[in-house]
Amino acid sequence: MSSSHVLVVEDNALVSGAMRVLLESADHRVSIAASVAESLGLARTDVPTLALIDLSLPDGDGLALVAPLFAAGCKTVIALTGHDDPETRARCLASGCADVFVKPVPARELLNRVARWLA
Amino acid sequence: MSHLEKVTNMPVSLESKPHDPRVAALEAQLKSAVMEIAELRARDGLKTQFLANISHDLRTPLTAVITHAEILRDGILGDLTPRQMESVRGIISGGRQLLSQVGEILTYARGAANQLALVPTRFAIREVLEQMSVLNESLLKKKRLALSLDIQSDVPPIVADREKIAHVVGNLLGNAIDFTAPGGQVWLKASHKVDEEKRALLIVEVGDTGVGIAAEHHDLIFREFAQVDATPSRPHHGTGLGLTIARRLVELHGGQIWVESKLGTGSRFFFTVPVEQPD
Repeated sequence: MSSSHVLVVEDNALVSGAMRVLLESADHRVSIAASVAESLGLARTDVPTLALIDLSLPDGDGLALVAPLFAAGCKTVIALTGHDDPETRARCLASGCADVFVKPVPARELLNRVARWLA
Repeated sequence: MSHLEKVTNMPVSLESKPHDPRVAALEAQLKSAVMEIAELRARDGLKTQFLANISHDLRTPLTAVITHAEILRDGILGDLTPRQMESVRGIISGGRQLLSQVGEILTYARGAANQLALVPTRFAIREVLEQMSVLNESLLKKKRLALSLDIQSDVPPIVADREKIAHVVGNLLGNAIDFTAPGGQVWLKASHKVDEEKRALLIVEVGDTGVGIAAEHHDLIFREFAQVDATPSRPHHGTGLGLTIARRLVELHGGQIWVESKLGTGSRFFFTVPVEQPD
């Protein structure tokens, strides 16, 4: 599972920076996009194996990315959200996300769950 | 209907003789009071929205701080010395405490703006009470408090929003632990009854042998931002929203919450929840 390409879609550089440190420690190649538009551009040229997407992005709903990411060849999409409520969870799963991580996901747990989806 | 609602709903035009200047003055006063109330309500709404936005925005950088600290704690970037580990654990527990307080403010703001929806499922209250006891185990141990659980054997499963009921129990239990001196007792009880309207109700009691609450404060403690001791040097900190949120979540279920307590004799908080939620 080493050297998978993971796309982190998150508009806060502090959070995406922490994700990069964490995911790179597990030998994943990490790309970061801060908006829906940037993610779509990136996914066209360098398809991620797995994408972690924040729900509220400056130019729209992160869930709008699920279908185009799958169409581009991305295997797994996981939602990252600050909302710990069943409605949000249900909405993410209904949109095609494989899993929903509520921020802050404990570091070790995030790595384990990402590894499980990549296996 | 509250006094405020009565005033705002009053017809603005009073039956009057057209040229009585006293009536005209009263009418003008009433009109301006109604406008002032509308203005205050609008401002209150803006403040609530501000609270919801700011607490949501505070979560993001906090999340980053906690994740970075956990990366260090878990040895992902290499081993730490025991003293470095102690320091990093301090960052994580401080960060998590702050995050939970920010979460309380967010729940309060959503409740005040009527943005909290129930997601009911059927569950046994025993599961929630046991979950809350386990979650608070280390705090109870630290304060040498004995926790007992007493659930009537024939309490039926309830249809309610499990997370929100757990939130209520968590807030009440947190207070019980906070306001009881080391060596004291804390208990969780569940029973059921049928009320005057023939509704089956679950009754949960969260009790303690702690400092207790004077009768004149029994209403105050459920009001937003109210703390019996609000001085900066108060021994018990917190947002002052725990009981307001508990009341909001219980009332959202169609239940009631109240306290029975005297200063110095411990407190017993009760809440009821209908066993079934109406469709």
